[in-house]
Amino acid sequence: MVHPEIGLEVVIDSSITKHHKQPTTTIGRKQSAIKTPSKRSQQGVIATINAGYFRICMSLGGQALLWKTLSEKTDISPTFGNLFTKIPSTAFFLIWSLAVCIFVSLSILYILRCIFHFKMVKSEFHHHVGVNYLFAPWISWLLLLRSAPSFIFPHKYSYEYVWWPLIVPVIALDLKIYGQWFTTEKRFLSMVANPTSQMSVIGNLVGAHAAIKMGWKESGICLFTLGMTHYLVVFITLYQRLSGNNHLPSRLRPVFFLFVATPSMAALAWKSINGNFDMLCKMLFFLSLFLFTSLASRPVLFKKSLKSFSVAWWAFSFPLSFLALASTAYAQQVKGVTANGLALILSTISVLVFVFLLVCSTLKIDSLLRNPVLSFSDEN
Amino acid sequence: MEKSNDLGKDSPTEAVPSLIRSADGHQILGFDDDDTKQSDSNFQFMVSFQIKTQLVMEWRDFIKLINESALKMAVRVADNQWLDLINLVVIEFLFEFFQKPSGNDIESSSDSSSREATQSVSISMPHLRLDAERVVLKDEVEAAGNDSPENSGTHEVKFHSEPIIMGGGTDDQTVAGKTPEHRLILPVKNPRLDEFKDNRYNSFKTWSGRLERQLSTLRGKPRNEPEINPPQNLQGETLSVDRYFDALEGPELETLRPQEEIMLPEDKKWPFLLRFPISSFGICLGVSSQAIMWKNLASTASTHFLHISLRVNYTLWCISILLFAVVAVTYLLKVIFYFEAVRREYYHPIRVNFFFAPWIALLFLAIGVPDSVMRKLPHSLWYVLMTPIFCLELKIYGQWMSGGQRRLSKVANPSNHLSVVGNFVGALLGATMGLKEGPIFFFAVGLAHYTVLFVTLYQRLPTNETLPKELHPVFFLFVAAPSVASMAWAKINGSFDYGSRLAYFIALFLYFSLAVRVNFFRGFKFSLAWWAYTFPMTGAAISTIRYSSEVSNVVTKALSLILSTVATVTVTGLLITTILHAFVLRDLFPNDIGIAISDRKSKTQKKWYHRGTCGSAKDAEHQGKTRNSGEKEVRIPVIHPAN
Repeated sequence: MVHPEIGLEVVIDSSITKHHKQPTTTIGRKQSAIKTPSKRSQQGVIATINAGYFRICMSLGGQALLWKTLSEKTDISPTFGNLFTKIPSTAFFLIWSLAVCIFVSLSILYILRCIFHFKMVKSEFHHHVGVNYLFAPWISWLLLLRSAPSFIFPHKYSYEYVWWPLIVPVIALDLKIYGQWFTTEKRFLSMVANPTSQMSVIGNLVGAHAAIKMGWKESGICLFTLGMTHYLVVFITLYQRLSGNNHLPSRLRPVFFLFVATPSMAALAWKSINGNFDMLCKMLFFLSLFLFTSLASRPVLFKKSLKSFSVAWWAFSFPLSFLALASTAYAQQVKGVTANGLALILSTISVLVFVFLLVCSTLKIDSLLRNPVLSFSDEN
Repeated sequence: MEKSNDLGKDSPTEAVPSLIRSADGHQILGFDDDDTKQSDSNFQFMVSFQIKTQLVMEWRDFIKLINESALKMAVRVADNQWLDLINLVVIEFLFEFFQKPSGNDIESSSDSSSREATQSVSISMPHLRLDAERVVLKDEVEAAGNDSPENSGTHEVKFHSEPIIMGGGTDDQTVAGKTPEHRLILPVKNPRLDEFKDNRYNSFKTWSGRLERQLSTLRGKPRNEPEINPPQNLQGETLSVDRYFDALEGPELETLRPQEEIMLPEDKKWPFLLRFPISSFGICLGVSSQAIMWKNLASTASTHFLHISLRVNYTLWCISILLFAVVAVTYLLKVIFYFEAVRREYYHPIRVNFFFAPWIALLFLAIGVPDSVMRKLPHSLWYVLMTPIFCLELKIYGQWMSGGQRRLSKVANPSNHLSVVGNFVGALLGATMGLKEGPIFFFAVGLAHYTVLFVTLYQRLPTNETLPKELHPVFFLFVAAPSVASMAWAKINGSFDYGSRLAYFIALFLYFSLAVRVNFFRGFKFSLAWWAYTFPMTGAAISTIRYSSEVSNVVTKALSLILSTVATVTVTGLLITTILHAFVLRDLFPNDIGIAISDRKSKTQKKWYHRGTCGSAKDAEHQGKTRNSGEKEVRIPVIHPAN
């Protein structure tokens, strides 16, 4: 018997673990708690709707703001000015009232959901996509506030009285979510980051935008800084795509348009802080425009989600409204045929998409209500 | 059951002969037989090992030893395949001895072993590239070493070697082991023409060579070579980026991993067009940026003390125009005739960034144009030059954002700076021309994506597979974007204000932190892409000149002088090296391995894994993907004593 002079190192190879498998275990567990939508349909509207439905309100609010800005335009060049002044302000008021009605009804439904199905709300809070949409109601309120017709707030301080109760939940959610990103092990940003993470940033920026209108410059700047810092972090993390596409269901792909919304909103907020559409605003606007072109030239990305109508389609609308708003502000600053033409085109696209979505929702209201893209369960 | 033995430092020249010795005596081969006695008699299990590269290298020495002794071969092999063949021979050796002495074929013996209480471990070795089908060996076991006198007698064994892996051959052919005779007996009348007609390169030609046949029929030449259908797997197929990572290694992803094979013949020199990579546009980048630097040196007030004339700029500019024309025409020919190769370059994770290089070179030419040639450039030129950059950007940045295989956390590498710097160069040119909004647009886009890229590269994420572990000249690309951005911002704003200074100081810091590590830039193979890494140095010099015109004192002037000198010296050195490689060593354009990787792992690889094993071949493939490319997967049959 000969014993070896050489020894051989034996490595028993267990199954290959990929890098991103471990971090997703907690999220995977949460996802397993999500049941198929077909079961849900028996349980009524209250159980079905989730915070994602507030996208509709956000879109309505964005459109109302757009129409308000367009109807207030006074210094656009004559060729385009006629188009805009012909739009009666009653159309704007109609949209605004529609927005308020839908928003109030959705809020009531959501409050009922909180009361009767609190566990669902809780599981929504723990979901990496659902939690971001908890900003949506407050963003809608702020947008409606910002776009309110002037006769709604006759009293000087009534605007502020409404603003404060809206901004406090935003800040509270900020503290919770941003703190989790870099402290809690289970919900690190690198694990939970997905395009809807930009909703928190938009919340801050809309709050800043509304604050400046009141004349509260310092709180406006404070919220703006908060938003922009976290925007930098989120932008880089999302572009890196550390964990690939695993976290976003393919039917939620329209939320990629949030990439377009955030820089536009930032441009608008900085404009209101600064007074005019300066270099930083222009750069943010151009970034937003580039991202829009980039996404629009990738229809394959959205193919799966466009197969059937769902509430996720509304995610297309308000980024386009914000982009149109920013382009009108840009055209106001840089007067010229190209800028005005760009503003006109983007506004038209935004309005068309909005009208199309309204029509689709009215016709298919059944599938809209019965078919949420994300559903949350009662169990823990 | 698991076994673990430590890999000793003993040379295998002592170890293997003992193995053979023991095998000859039908004894246990060098593993603990206590374990084997305890094993159940009716099962067979696999143990896989990892032998370190050192061992393999020592194997090669050992095999050289065998080679020098009385081993006779009756086979035609290419000379450089000799060592591989001997490898195979020795392992098959051991196989034969490991099995029962029935003189069976290897396949049948492995079947029989599975029925018995043998523990078998199989060896996989790098595939052979032989020109013959069978190997008949005569060996003398004495040849196994001077210290094994017990081995006596010769055994005549027949080995069936693996059939040839042909460049571009189909699987059927390899399995059936046919030797296409016509390839071996092609008459060598006109080497160039034959090369051109060589059907092995068909798969890389545009429409698989049909374009050429069309052209040759148009020219009236008779069709006399046999029509070979190109392999179906190459038509219109997208190579996944994982395939590039598996097959290639090295800081520029140019070197083939040992266990991989390529679709084109390795021993022949491929057609020139196939060997012409897109990184050749780096030469244009390097030379045209020099032209800009000399123009600035001559025209800036703070460097007037050097008394540089504008003629240097004029000469360099004319040279760069000429160079660009030559390179562009050649690459255009490659696009026309070898479109498949161009496609594969586009899918290469590093080469794709060089597709920005032609447009950046054109932008440099426009910036560095001497005043005597043209004083005011038309605005439409800017739009024409920026359109291809814009389209490429939409594609590449979109890939980063939308995740999937080519997401940034996976493919980020310093060459990505080439995709970002184009924005800043375009902004600089636009602002010089007097445009207002366009430059700001590209500056904004470039800044946003530069931030993302910068953070990603600094992070050195573990999921990142392309980042070179050592310092490599490609790291100088880090300096490019901030220095050009500072100049662009200065031009947009009118003066070298705080934003520009911020960017300039970042560039300077990065430059110095690389310059003090210049000792670590050693031991790299020269490649044409190195020209692309010189333009950041020139860019830093130009921005220093610009800075010194704003803040004019001794320090800044000295700095601008030093940096310009360093840039010029580097370019000159590179020029000499290039000429050396082109005319003396004649390997300026080596075979472009990076684009010729096969689209799946070789089948023979899998055959080795399947041989006498009950483990999964998939595991082995996965393990082949490990980053320790120096370690090989080896499984050796272990035989229970036939008692």
